[in-house]
Amino acid sequence: MIISSEQKKNNINSLIRTCRLLARMSRVNPEARKSETMYYQMLADYYTRVLNAQEEGGFVAAHTVFFPTEILYAMDIVPMHTETTTWLTALFLRQQAELLSAGAELGLVSEICSPHRGVAGAFSIGALPRPDVMLWSNLVCDNTAKSGELLMEINHCPGFFLDHPFQGSEGEVKYFIGELEDMIHFLEEKSGRRMDWDKLAEIVAQMDRQIELFREICELRKAVPSPFPPMSFLELLSVDYLYPGQPEAIDYLELLHQELADMVREGKGAVSPERFRLMTLFIPPMHLMGFLGKISQEYGAVSVVEPLFTRWSEGRLDPAKPLESVAKKAFLIPERRSMYGPLDEHALKDIVDSAEQYKVDGAVYWAFMGCRHTCATVKLFKDILSEIDVPVLTLDCDIVDPTINSEEEIREKLEQFFELLEDR
Amino acid sequence: MSQKSNVQLHMLDRFREVNNTFPNTAQILELKRQGKKVFGWLCTYVPEEIIHAAGALPVRITGYSQEMELEDGNAYLYINNCSFSRSCLQMGLRGEYDYLDGVVGGSTCDGARRLFDLWHYYIKAPFHHVLTVPRKYTQRAHDLYYSQVMEFKQRLEEFLGLQITDEALCQSIRVYNESRALLKSLYDLRKLSNPLITGAETMEVLNASFRMPKELFNEYLRKLLNELSTSGNTHKSRARLMLVGSVMNNPEFVESIEELGGLVVTDELCSSTRYWSDPVVLDGCKDPLQAISRRYLNNFPCARMFPSDERFNRILELARDFRVDGVISQIIRYCVPYAHDLPLLTDRLKAQGIPTLALDVEYGTSGSGQIRTRVQAFLEMLEAKRK
Repeated sequence: MIISSEQKKNNINSLIRTCRLLARMSRVNPEARKSETMYYQMLADYYTRVLNAQEEGGFVAAHTVFFPTEILYAMDIVPMHTETTTWLTALFLRQQAELLSAGAELGLVSEICSPHRGVAGAFSIGALPRPDVMLWSNLVCDNTAKSGELLMEINHCPGFFLDHPFQGSEGEVKYFIGELEDMIHFLEEKSGRRMDWDKLAEIVAQMDRQIELFREICELRKAVPSPFPPMSFLELLSVDYLYPGQPEAIDYLELLHQELADMVREGKGAVSPERFRLMTLFIPPMHLMGFLGKISQEYGAVSVVEPLFTRWSEGRLDPAKPLESVAKKAFLIPERRSMYGPLDEHALKDIVDSAEQYKVDGAVYWAFMGCRHTCATVKLFKDILSEIDVPVLTLDCDIVDPTINSEEEIREKLEQFFELLEDR
Repeated sequence: MSQKSNVQLHMLDRFREVNNTFPNTAQILELKRQGKKVFGWLCTYVPEEIIHAAGALPVRITGYSQEMELEDGNAYLYINNCSFSRSCLQMGLRGEYDYLDGVVGGSTCDGARRLFDLWHYYIKAPFHHVLTVPRKYTQRAHDLYYSQVMEFKQRLEEFLGLQITDEALCQSIRVYNESRALLKSLYDLRKLSNPLITGAETMEVLNASFRMPKELFNEYLRKLLNELSTSGNTHKSRARLMLVGSVMNNPEFVESIEELGGLVVTDELCSSTRYWSDPVVLDGCKDPLQAISRRYLNNFPCARMFPSDERFNRILELARDFRVDGVISQIIRYCVPYAHDLPLLTDRLKAQGIPTLALDVEYGTSGSGQIRTRVQAFLEMLEAKRK
């Protein structure tokens, strides 16, 4: 299947137009957060940069999730986050079927994580711009580890696989720093750009501030009632994935922090009245986001903590040691602790601590069938949460394929769960 | 055209006996009774020689040898982890590996990592160790893996209260290398135009190789090779086949292919060629730990390793050496590393004129029903292609 360059442009253009439209709608909505408007504008700007990069002589690096994009920004390379692009396409453009079908045509079976099937499909039909290089890593799973080589072949571009070690011993951190050095050499050779170490130090300093803001925002969410809208934690993820250590991210997080702090001071919650404080485990289906926002309002349910995604491990970054800090960040991210690394006592304690510190009434585990290593924790997390009397609702789902879950099915199950919580 | 041996192979029955009684194999239970420690390992990136050199018995953790209901496996690991992990975990949860003094794994794939997490939490073997296994072959990756192997040795020494000497390691390497050489001799018999042993029979030998003391296995295999050389057993076939893909331990699956007239003459499975193919290269008895470390990281790679062409090239080499007509890829559902590689591998095989049949299977499947129909059609296609 051959797609013309005009069509390619239109695909990314559609994403940009949708983000701009959402920003405009948010701007004129008196109830919308200003940070929400800024978020949609950031998405539009991110994809505009991708779209314009090749025409303006930019160098585009497509990369998988949890990738140290700070290095790309320091080298003036334009990043394109493959999984986020697929799920935004799923969310905004409703092109899931087309992308997944293109992935299947490549021979990718349905057991492979759907965002990765979608990414391969998107590149194969030209729905995403062809990158200059492909970068990928095994953080966070076999799907990310194995997706890159096929994407290199589809895009006829060189690539670099960044090997992230399993545990966090001193030797493993050293190994990872070496991997980062190799990647920088690869990028310098392929892009003709040099690493700007001063710029990387600046980015690291801002990333450190960004992590602190994430932590402070999470602290605010402990308030009763909790101020952050039920499903808005995805904004925090996208900002980290797309703008790590960037001034735009700091502006957004500072504004959001201010808004939430004001709400806490005024005793206002995101849902009113707040009846159920929930822990969200993994991510709900993208096509149900609007519906989940509404049903949360309807039932007074709010996600207050997402330990797999929003609880950063303890530690600070040091701009004087920029590369070491970029490596360190990869060991601090929440996803590494519970989704990638060994499920040690520390990781399990964090789940229990989250439930207790955020005073959750129940947890909803979105068991995404494409995410094997996460689903393997469903029973374990259920068991440790039941010890502190926190019930868990498990919902099998697919985060981008809309044919798996309907609103009716999810409504019925959530309503039953809310009844159970009410009865307690 | 069935491929069962026409002459009774007595040593093959001995191997079958080991497999049919595993994990409660007589030899293992006898050694336990004598006070010997037994360690379960999972994944071919765990250096067995270290356990052996510590005077303990390494046995490979495998799942049920037939397709089973995996109620416990499903409940604990969820249904979207591969049935191999679920099957192993269920056996552990049901106490079938309770005699193990320890379990050792590698950070090889998502299923294995989580299997070990849950084993640690719910089954609690006295000794538990997971090695970080890099996915590359760079010098830095070798240094990291070597440090992991060294750490594993140290932890085992502490646990057992002994020292694993270089002499003991070298002796273990010799035993294991002999085993590898004998298995190579067995595979060489499959290169013949009319091989002396079937694929299903070979799988019986391979399964026993990681379920019994290596010295005894070597003795059995030497006798089997003698038996084969005088048995007059030969096997003709409609097509010479190669098996690639996920871990597999059930000879019935291979037998079902061979009953249709295909003959599996080689394979690329971690439970077969990838387990034994490369020896540990020793220079006298100089730095045996380094030699072990290099062998395990450089061995015929799993689909987890990068770049995948290392694996693909070895598969193409095997296909040439064994004069393979077609490749059967059997991938356990949710075995993602192999699933990702399949489109790329199929292209490379096609470029060499070798067709591939891709089968989605569950661990332990006997290969009945739809699989037989598809294999039959594949064999017909290969025959037509030859004409």
